[in-house]
Amino acid sequence: MLKRGISFVLVLVLAAAMFSGCGKQADKPEPGKPALKVGMVTDFGTIDDKSFNQGTWEGVLRAGKEFGLETRYLKPVGTTEADYMKEIGNLSDAGFKLIVCPGFKFETAIFQAQDKYKDTKFVLIDGYPHKGDWAPVVKENTVSIFFAEHESGFLAGLAAALQLKEGEFGFIGGMEIPPVQKFNWGFQQGVKYANTNYGTNVSMKAENVIYQGTFDNVAAGQQLAAQMYDRGVRAIFTAAGGVGVGSINEAKARAKAGKEAWIVGVDVDQYGEGVYEGNKSVILTSAMKYIDVAAYDMIKAEKEGKFPGGQILTFSAVNDGIGIPKTNPNLSDDVYKKVMDAFAKLKNGSLKVSDTQGDLLR
Amino acid sequence: MWSLITQIFPYAVAFTIPLLITSLGGLFSERSGIVNIGLEGLMIIGMFTGALTISVLEIAMPGAAIWVGLLAAFIAGALFAMLHAFACITLNANQVISGIAVNMVAGALTTYLARNITGSGNILIIHGLVRKDVPVLSALPVIGRLVFTQTYATTWLVLFLVVLSTFTLYKTKFGLRLRACGEHPHAADSAGINVHLVRYLAVMISGAFAGLGGATVIVTYSGEFNGTAAGLGFLALAALIFGQWKPLGILGATFFFGFASTVANVSQAIPALAKISGIYLKTFPYIVTLIALVLSSKSSQAPKALGEPYDKGKR
Repeated sequence: MLKRGISFVLVLVLAAAMFSGCGKQADKPEPGKPALKVGMVTDFGTIDDKSFNQGTWEGVLRAGKEFGLETRYLKPVGTTEADYMKEIGNLSDAGFKLIVCPGFKFETAIFQAQDKYKDTKFVLIDGYPHKGDWAPVVKENTVSIFFAEHESGFLAGLAAALQLKEGEFGFIGGMEIPPVQKFNWGFQQGVKYANTNYGTNVSMKAENVIYQGTFDNVAAGQQLAAQMYDRGVRAIFTAAGGVGVGSINEAKARAKAGKEAWIVGVDVDQYGEGVYEGNKSVILTSAMKYIDVAAYDMIKAEKEGKFPGGQILTFSAVNDGIGIPKTNPNLSDDVYKKVMDAFAKLKNGSLKVSDTQGDLLR
Repeated sequence: MWSLITQIFPYAVAFTIPLLITSLGGLFSERSGIVNIGLEGLMIIGMFTGALTISVLEIAMPGAAIWVGLLAAFIAGALFAMLHAFACITLNANQVISGIAVNMVAGALTTYLARNITGSGNILIIHGLVRKDVPVLSALPVIGRLVFTQTYATTWLVLFLVVLSTFTLYKTKFGLRLRACGEHPHAADSAGINVHLVRYLAVMISGAFAGLGGATVIVTYSGEFNGTAAGLGFLALAALIFGQWKPLGILGATFFFGFASTVANVSQAIPALAKISGIYLKTFPYIVTLIALVLSSKSSQAPKALGEPYDKGKR
């Protein structure tokens, strides 16, 4: 028995030695400067959430492939600041000196990390570092990225209203946090813009504008969407992660039964998720923000030594950071053209979308 | 009020059914004397197997794929539950720990498999079940509007299984033996009953039902496997205790949970309910459960030998 134990340990040691040998050869740094390694920490979703984390990761992977960088992501066991700090520390210690963190939940963790790991650079998406008092402290090794969700929501609202022309619209959000609120407010302004300028007749009622409160309650998403459709709502804008998955499923079931039910997707082009038969989908359009582009751009900037440290950047229509998908069979060409007109106006500044509530619903 | 109830009812039933069948599975296991905390994990196994089977088959056979998926989940649940049975019955391991292990393994294993097989930890199915009105019966006054409109086929399947299970437990030889093993396994053994075999079967039935419950979630309201059952398995376990280990009690308890959760979920979308703070509605079922458990703890109907490994030599 003892003999067997010893030989087993020996085999393990040998195997370990072999692998470590490989590692060293592959990772041999270029003389002078160590190779850049890019890490990412996921927030509360998984890496394949078809939304926030996945979008970021796709950008990281694309940059990794293009520039030949080593990439890795870590998923924290929890969603507290301590969980995030631990994984950021793990990545930094392992030589990943550029770390991308998607989500406002990282704000306080990055606030600490930017001082603790001075040799590491951080990209924080949808948030800025602060110590819990909302006063931004962006150090030289951190860049903070925001998206103009209100502009994205505006374009989607405009497209949906132009396409359906009349009826009730609804909104289901996840948590009541700024990015989700801005989607909502922008969407309402888009609908209004269509009503004023193109003579459509779409309305939104207060009871159909809802923040579910989580990003993962699939059952609630289905049930809320069902209530709205039962009340005659024709299209629902879902900015709610997993909650939206339930809503899309409800819309699919209705569409399959021959009833009208539309969903406006969020973050990425969700057309594929709404397919219920052949190539037909319940996704009317999607309010996109190009998270992957943002992640890619920051890695590229770091690679070229132009990392915009200390800044708070906004990706909007001006720098093509938001938009709606180019191809969607549910939208007519004419509608897409009108939306692009509005996009051009956003771009040159002749049209402004407010990112505050004002007199809008919730 | 009436319109409110009819508005919520079909969705509450859809939410209740997976809970009901999973809880019923737990009933089989626990009445035979084996604690099954692993219901959550077994549901995840069912969700994964169902979603994977359906997503692979639905292009080729859109209609039948759902039923093949449900069957696959049923079988996968039974097979996976054998792990729990082996640990608890053959190895006399601590049943609670084994159940926790099942939960932990199921979540991690299915996500790992999903990533390796489909390239993503989430498996989306294109076709789910469509809600239909039951012909003729849906025209009945009151009941027709509540019970027979907007129903899923799985609802009727599960209700049929509830009736079948009640009959099996109380009217057949197997049911009597199963209950005997949970109350006094030594007495059952001396009467010539193979306690190990009965318990193995009971745990496998619990796995099969929980697997079916998980797959039902996929084909009805969620439409996507994402590596978690969102605590439904634990809720089913609570309903099992709340329902005092009896089929009718479970039916009542799961429906109570299902209806209360649905009301809490949709309250925001209904002006009449939106006035009540969501916190109260969301915690309501759990507070009622706590109170009910406190009140009923003295007269608990738990099987006498629940949680004890069967040791032939012990008297």
